[in-house]
Amino acid sequence: MKKLLFCVLLSAPFWVFGQGFQVNLQGQKQIGMAGAGSALALDEASVFFNPGAVSFLEKNSISAGVNPLLFKSAFKQNGSNITEHVKNKIAPPFEAYAVWGPKSNKWKLGLGVYTPFGGLVDWGDEWSGRYALTSLNLKAIYFQPTLSVKITDGIGIGAGFVYNHGDVNLQRALPVNYPDGRSGHATLEGTGSGYGWNAGLYVKTLSNITFAIVHKSKVVTKLNDGSATFDVPESLRSSFPAGNTFNAELPLPSTTTLGIGIPLSKSTSLAFDANWVQWRVYEELAFDYAINTPVLADTRSARNYRDGSSFKLGVNHQASEKLALRAGIGYAFSPVQDGYVTPEAPDADRYILSAGIGYAPTSRFEVNASFFFEDVKSRKQKNIETGLDGTFKTLVYAPGISLTYKW
Amino acid sequence: MVGEIIMKKYILNCVFAAIILFAASCKPEIETPAGTTAGQANFSKYISVGNSLTAGFADGGLYLEGQKVAYPNLIASKMATVGGGSFTSPFFTDAQANGSGYLTLSALVNGAPTLTNATNNLAYRDATHLTKYTGEVQNLGIPGMRVDLAFAAPYGAANMYMERLLTDAQVGTTTYFQFIQGRNHTFFSLWLGNNDALGYATNGGVTTDATNVLTDKSTFSLLYSNLVNALTANGQKGVVGTIPDVTAVPYFNTVTVSALLAAAKAINPAAVAVFIQTGSGTVRAATSEDLIRLPFQSAGLFGTGTIPYGLDPRNPIANNWVLDKDEIIRVKDYVNSYNSTIKSLASSKGLAVADTYTYLNTVKTGIAIQGININSAFITGGAFSLDGVHLTPRGNAVIANVFIDAINSKYGSTIPTIDITQYRGVKFPDK
Repeated sequence: MKKLLFCVLLSAPFWVFGQGFQVNLQGQKQIGMAGAGSALALDEASVFFNPGAVSFLEKNSISAGVNPLLFKSAFKQNGSNITEHVKNKIAPPFEAYAVWGPKSNKWKLGLGVYTPFGGLVDWGDEWSGRYALTSLNLKAIYFQPTLSVKITDGIGIGAGFVYNHGDVNLQRALPVNYPDGRSGHATLEGTGSGYGWNAGLYVKTLSNITFAIVHKSKVVTKLNDGSATFDVPESLRSSFPAGNTFNAELPLPSTTTLGIGIPLSKSTSLAFDANWVQWRVYEELAFDYAINTPVLADTRSARNYRDGSSFKLGVNHQASEKLALRAGIGYAFSPVQDGYVTPEAPDADRYILSAGIGYAPTSRFEVNASFFFEDVKSRKQKNIETGLDGTFKTLVYAPGISLTYKW
Repeated sequence: MVGEIIMKKYILNCVFAAIILFAASCKPEIETPAGTTAGQANFSKYISVGNSLTAGFADGGLYLEGQKVAYPNLIASKMATVGGGSFTSPFFTDAQANGSGYLTLSALVNGAPTLTNATNNLAYRDATHLTKYTGEVQNLGIPGMRVDLAFAAPYGAANMYMERLLTDAQVGTTTYFQFIQGRNHTFFSLWLGNNDALGYATNGGVTTDATNVLTDKSTFSLLYSNLVNALTANGQKGVVGTIPDVTAVPYFNTVTVSALLAAAKAINPAAVAVFIQTGSGTVRAATSEDLIRLPFQSAGLFGTGTIPYGLDPRNPIANNWVLDKDEIIRVKDYVNSYNSTIKSLASSKGLAVADTYTYLNTVKTGIAIQGININSAFITGGAFSLDGVHLTPRGNAVIANVFIDAINSKYGSTIPTIDITQYRGVKFPDK
């Protein structure tokens, strides 16, 4: 008779991947062009942008770059007069590429290591959405060995195998209170892996206009035996057992890209990329806890993403033998439908602006720098599952630099 | 050569510009379209009239932590941004912070709560009287106050929470109706009348004295209009709250007939039914339509005796423990009548209505607000404190927003809402 059944204290949702988790920073030159460049055989970053174009690179090369990224998001609860901001944390997306092939042969080998998905958001432990999320640190590192073959003087194909190493740390407050009034806290942490591929076709017409079709497959990343740590008052310990683990699956979506490269003059070329990101694979997110209790049930949260898309236009101008200047604009449509926006990735349609510069002091060395800016539109949302109700607004700043050695 | 120097300078300038742009990267801003305004209202002096809920009573007692987060205090803190003045409350001192004493959750054994009374730092000046409070008061909530007793001067002596606020000369001679007047307010909230139905219900539908009588409907109507007339005498604007369905609180939804029967069957599989004595004096098997009061859980009666208490028609659960289905119908009918009175008076006076009746019925089935699931479950629901009737700090914040939304929508004001996540639910023992 005295048994009180504890109803579900945990509201189900834990995280979402949005456009906000897609990191469009994979090659310093292309970043300067808003992320366009699948139809340009610009450099070794073609391993990512279009493996078919790799065989058209004139030189062997190796490069590495980093783009410290500042994700500045703000939230204002519906009806509130207080705007809350994420803490200033710098995420380090990086990219490294190597391309090699015997000169005068029709094939090249490539290797890419890059971070196409990731997120670093820390709202702090006191903000008004803390029962939905306090912080997320997500990293997906793709390793991609690639082979590219020049079939004719005008057609190149290429494909790569993708191995993903994923790393996630997700935290939120729990609405149970200690005797001193502070809240409980949940931390989910784990690593996982997944596999996929990347293939591309590069066509160079007689007029020197180039075309690209690229497909990057989805990479379903499995997290097994991640640790689920619940800091709760000891009287609730039996409901939130210590040493619990969880399994989850993170579907990183496939992307299909159509690209065009147009040489405007000997020194200037335009690149246009249209990306179709098949987010619709992301229908739900399920967490399977090793130990379930009446309070801690496995969760299945509807996500119901639709496909996302983005359009990017960039220009590359070789100002002199040593100096190149770049700029780009873009627009991306969010895959997150109304009612599913969360503080992990407060997603909305966004504008992209970029600029870049390249300098080659010798024929072997090259330094490239870029600045990438995204203006994610303000979006007033009430999340269906958590009831988190307010307006998000996000700006993303990412300066970057890379070094290249060619031979 | 010259060209190269110019080039380098150019690159440096570019890098420099990029760094400046980055460093100056402004934080994103979010505009509030409505701006900041009091609308047609004047919040410079707000008073709150009401009962225990208004006073910040929680966990079976009135104590400082509860007083500080009483919904009027939360509202007043937000009114400050739209021309609200200071808001004074009869707070207990830090030395007597535990006030009347209150329940704490000291243990959970297999999900069953052990409740313990706080006994230190109390505010009693003798066995039945609290330390007097003198000085300006704008939170005028008095635990136990009813619409009918607001007009009974002797109640000021009988109710220790009201006695505490009166001068010796006023005790027994001043009614609550008089007490709330003459305070030069510009805005008021009035959430009173709950106890006119709840007093009867929490005594199992048994009337033994003036605190558990069901106030006559027409008497309620007359006296409530007297209150509204007094509070709007100088054209003041305000907000009135409707009276929640008494069955929406954990006090009546925690000890269920089915739970009692399951517990009995676990000990004696032969148990067939739980027997109750109804308000009309008949004895019958209880159904899920009959509600058992929360304190029955710890009364130590059930199943005791040679004829097991509550499990045999010869020894039924006494009438005062049970709000049977006919009594529920009666209480609901009265609450509906009170609420139509409140709404029609508010309408005729142009007052805002905080419809807590409707809102708490929504909470009963469970809602998710700002990442928190809130429902009317005892202890775990988050909104109701350990007495099963009064609100936790989180519940107060939720209700304060119901009032704020009502005020804003009526008067076109922009009182900011309260971040409910900053307020706690029930405290769980950390051992």
